[in-house]
Amino acid sequence: MSAVVKTITPFINKEFLLQALDAIGCKYTLQGNEIITERVDYYGNQKFVLINGRFQFQHDSSANREQYPWRNLNVKEYKTVSSFLVAVESKYHYFYNLKMEELEKQRQEEERIRLENERKAFVEKQKESIIAKAKEKGYSVKEENVKGKVKLVLVRNTY
Amino acid sequence: MAEQRIVITIDENGKINASTEGIKGEMCLDELQELLGSLEELQYISKTDEFYQANELKSQNKIQNKKQ
Repeated sequence: MSAVVKTITPFINKEFLLQALDAIGCKYTLQGNEIITERVDYYGNQKFVLINGRFQFQHDSSANREQYPWRNLNVKEYKTVSSFLVAVESKYHYFYNLKMEELEKQRQEEERIRLENERKAFVEKQKESIIAKAKEKGYSVKEENVKGKVKLVLVRNTY
Repeated sequence: MAEQRIVITIDENGKINASTEGIKGEMCLDELQELLGSLEELQYISKTDEFYQANELKSQNKIQNKKQ
C-alpha cells in the first residue's frame, strides 16, 4: 500500500492569513492566538490556532464532506474544509508575494537614496576642498548654482 | 595689478570643468593641480596659443577631469 500526501502551505504569518480571510469574505474574530471563523461545524466555530509557529485549522474532520450539515457556513462556495483551505492558501500566497514586491521596491528605493546621498556628499566634499584650497591661496571665492551645477569663480589680484 | 581668474564648474556627478585666465604658461596647470588635486584622471585639455607664450599675461586653459 502506498500513499501520497500533500499539505497546504503552513500559515505562519498572521497578517497575510487575516488578509486572505478578508479577501475570500470569511468573517472572523480574534481571541489571543486564535482566529475564530464564522464557519460553525458540529463542534463549534472552526478556528486557526497558533501552534508551534503556524496557524493550524481546527475543525470537525467530517467537515470535508460536500453534504456536511453545517451549523453556519459564511462562505458558501467553500463547502468543504479542503476547498476552504485551498482558497485561503491561494490568497495567502497572493498577499505574501505582494508584500515581497513592496519590500523589494522599498529596498531598491532605499538603495537609490543611499547612492544619491553618496554622490551628493562626494560633490560637496569636492567643492569644499577646492574652496578651502583657493582661500588658502588668496583667491576670493564666489559660488553659484547654475542648472544643478556648482560654479566657483576664483579671483586673485597679483602685483 | 593683474587679475587671475579661475572658473570651476562641478556637475551633479562630480565632473569638473575648469578654465583659467591671466595665469602665465604652465603655471595655470600647476595652479589647477593644486586646487583640484590629482589631474591624472584628466579627460580633456585645451591649450590656447597664449599658453605657450610664457610671458604672456593671459593664458587660458580648460580642463575637464573625470569623476573618481
